[in-house]
Amino acid sequence: MRRFAAKDWLRFVGGTLGVFAVVYLLAASSEAETNGWEEVFFTANQAYKEGRFEEAIDRYGRLLDSGHRNGHLYYNLGNAHFRLNQIGRAILNYERAHLLLPRDADLKFSLGYARDQTQDAISQPKGFVETTFFWLHTMTLHEVFWGFAGLNLLFWAVLLVRLFRPSEWTFYASVILLVLWLIASASFGVKYFKEQTDDRAVILAEEVDVLAGPDTEDTLLFKLHEGAIVLLERSEDGWSLVSLPDNKRGWVKKETLEKINRVTS
Amino acid sequence: MTQPGIAHGQIRPKRPLCLFRLVLSALSFQPSALFLLLSSLVFIILPCAADGAVSVTMQLDRKEATLADSVKMIISVAGARKSDAKPAVHGLETFHVTGGGTSSRLEIINGQVSAGIDFTYFIQPQRTGTFEIGPAEITIDGKVVRSNKETLKISPPSRISGAAQGPLFLTATLSPNQVYVEEQTIYTLKLFRQTRVSDISLALPEQEHLSFKQLGKPLEYQSVHSGQSYQVLEVRFAVTASSEGPYSIRPSTMNLTVYQPRTRSRRTPFDDPFFNDPFLSFSTGRPMALSSEPAHVEALPLPAQGRPADFSGLVGTFQLESKLEPTEIRAGESATLTVLLKGRGNVHRLPDLEMPELDHTKVYADQPVLEVETDQQGMGGSKTMKWALVPEKEGLYHIPPLTVSFFDTKIRQYRSIGTSPFSFSVLPGQEKERHVAADFGRSETTEGPVKLAVKELGRDILPVHTSVKDMEPALGAGPQGLLPWILLTAPFLVYGVAFCGKRLRKDSDKASALAKTKKAAGVLIKKCRKGELSSSDLGEAIRGYLNDRLGLSLGSLTPREAFEILQSRGVRPASSQRLQAFLQRLEDDVYSGRGQDVCHMGEDLPALVKEIDKEIR
Repeated sequence: MRRFAAKDWLRFVGGTLGVFAVVYLLAASSEAETNGWEEVFFTANQAYKEGRFEEAIDRYGRLLDSGHRNGHLYYNLGNAHFRLNQIGRAILNYERAHLLLPRDADLKFSLGYARDQTQDAISQPKGFVETTFFWLHTMTLHEVFWGFAGLNLLFWAVLLVRLFRPSEWTFYASVILLVLWLIASASFGVKYFKEQTDDRAVILAEEVDVLAGPDTEDTLLFKLHEGAIVLLERSEDGWSLVSLPDNKRGWVKKETLEKINRVTS
Repeated sequence: MTQPGIAHGQIRPKRPLCLFRLVLSALSFQPSALFLLLSSLVFIILPCAADGAVSVTMQLDRKEATLADSVKMIISVAGARKSDAKPAVHGLETFHVTGGGTSSRLEIINGQVSAGIDFTYFIQPQRTGTFEIGPAEITIDGKVVRSNKETLKISPPSRISGAAQGPLFLTATLSPNQVYVEEQTIYTLKLFRQTRVSDISLALPEQEHLSFKQLGKPLEYQSVHSGQSYQVLEVRFAVTASSEGPYSIRPSTMNLTVYQPRTRSRRTPFDDPFFNDPFLSFSTGRPMALSSEPAHVEALPLPAQGRPADFSGLVGTFQLESKLEPTEIRAGESATLTVLLKGRGNVHRLPDLEMPELDHTKVYADQPVLEVETDQQGMGGSKTMKWALVPEKEGLYHIPPLTVSFFDTKIRQYRSIGTSPFSFSVLPGQEKERHVAADFGRSETTEGPVKLAVKELGRDILPVHTSVKDMEPALGAGPQGLLPWILLTAPFLVYGVAFCGKRLRKDSDKASALAKTKKAAGVLIKKCRKGELSSSDLGEAIRGYLNDRLGLSLGSLTPREAFEILQSRGVRPASSQRLQAFLQRLEDDVYSGRGQDVCHMGEDLPALVKEIDKEIR
């Protein structure tokens, strides 16, 4: 076995220091970046506190546009819109926040209050899937995914053990894990599908005429008001086809509403 | 005018023995007639059973009428089916009275039987003024029972334009014509008709700053106009002006279908009066629209002089009633202050009174209850406000009066009315008593302070989230990129690889065993051909051949066992015996100490092995 020479030691220490230097530089650049968004966040909060809600909206929006997709930011943005009496935009951002923070008590309270301010009584009936997978309402897609991933790992690990060392405990463990795995996989599938096909949109204009066709000359079917949540079926030529849970359908101008789920919009 | 021994408005008559007498009579009848008697008995018994406390009420169909109208008056006697004489009514000296008939009634409501008589009269005023009518006195079983009194205001007949004359016309009156802003005036529409009408609908004129509210149900009565008798349908509205100025109310329009008897050129069998019944389809109906004359009203501004600071726009006549219950409580318990603000006028402006802060007292306001009522005289109502007062300490507490200001339309000036000042005394709370009880070592269940529902006094959104920790990149987003999916599929892939590997290994073991079987004879023959094998080595080689060829793992094998195994695998006995004999010889060599010597086979072993190899199944 070859002994370490002084030259080798020097090379080792130099290499280690080099690695540390690279890591430090990376961390420092990351820190500098963090300081940037922190400042914007602080100034946005300060603006909100001092009643400069337009400025707060601008700054929160800037943070979101820069990639900080965060439920708390959406919540703050919703609050700022609410203070400006923009109930539609407040509900839009609260709903976006709700996708990311489904168990946040502040958000639930404020969203409930904002919903109370809307004019249209549109009930959101719970379907079979929502009733069966009731726990999904309180979990994010991320949580459901990692829960499923963990269970998946455990399940296959037990099966692997059983493949080489079959025993009674591996049999029972694999049966229990199989049941849990099926529930978790179905939950993840449902949640993923629901988020991918979430076509809910919020009416942002104070009052919107819902017409029979994508033309201002078409028959007025009914009216919707700011904050109402509708299902966006499709959009064409500056018009959007929307529907309500009670099967009312019609066309509204595209700029009068905005989709809640930004991932699918 | 009460007489000794007579309760005002009601007496209790003697119980008749009619039920007992009837049952006795029934028993004396033949059985066949008994059924008929029993069925009719129900109708006879019920009125007897219905007799009870007797009361008399008098009712007018209107409180206001004109000289041209006739007012319907009903005197209802409850608890009796007959009276000794017809009722005598006071205060009808200036009225012309026409009898409208008598009807008796029998009602069974929730098992309670009640009987009564209704005397109907039509009274026609002879002069204008406000008259007090009643009480009506009626003698039942020798006792005099008196009714309530009613007030009737008689005004001159309304002036009707010439165009409105005829068998069918509509009039509109507004009274008074000068009001203050928010004060109500009564808009009365009357349909005078001498023919049958149906499908009546009314279109009220729409006027900016004027609101109409219908007062009660439409009235129907008879009236005389220009010497002709009319059936009148009267509808009243409370009209309120929200801003000052003269207003001209455009004519109201009434759409209806008018039925007129069909005129016939010559007499037919259908000219009999029976067929002229307006309810039969022998009369023709035609739609018609009637218009009233316009009406005028002037809304005066509320005077600025003397306007109280807390004036909320309330206009009308109002009273304030208040009570505090209980007036003696323990600390921590609650007393309820109830304030009732009621009256006539724009009741929707009744304010929510505010309770001032009281020292050492928690005040919980209840949701005020507004009740709006309408009658022929206009709109009225009340607002009930309640506060639960929970004192924290013992002592004497004073509640200052709560006041409300309004413009009184009767005296035409602002007024402020207030509740009476209340006081209540508070004794030491339960906590102290419990402490004392504990000191005396008595075990008793004590209740805590009175629990009150937490009331929501206001609602708003909650503050923004300011923690930087919360601003970590969102974990709510779903799996993004390839890595999560790889993580999800990796365990399955690992398992799959392990499973396949194990399977392959198993297959490979089988294949190698098969190869060994095929090569076993070749290996032995090769060893034999090399020559110079000792007896021991040769015996071992043959045993190895049999193990490989037959898939056995036998450590030792006697010649006899070899013979039996070969027999069981279908080898002919001759071949098996030859191998047995050869093995026996080798074994003898080994046991005789020549085991390591070179073996001289004396047998064509390769040929024998080939033969056995072929014969093995």
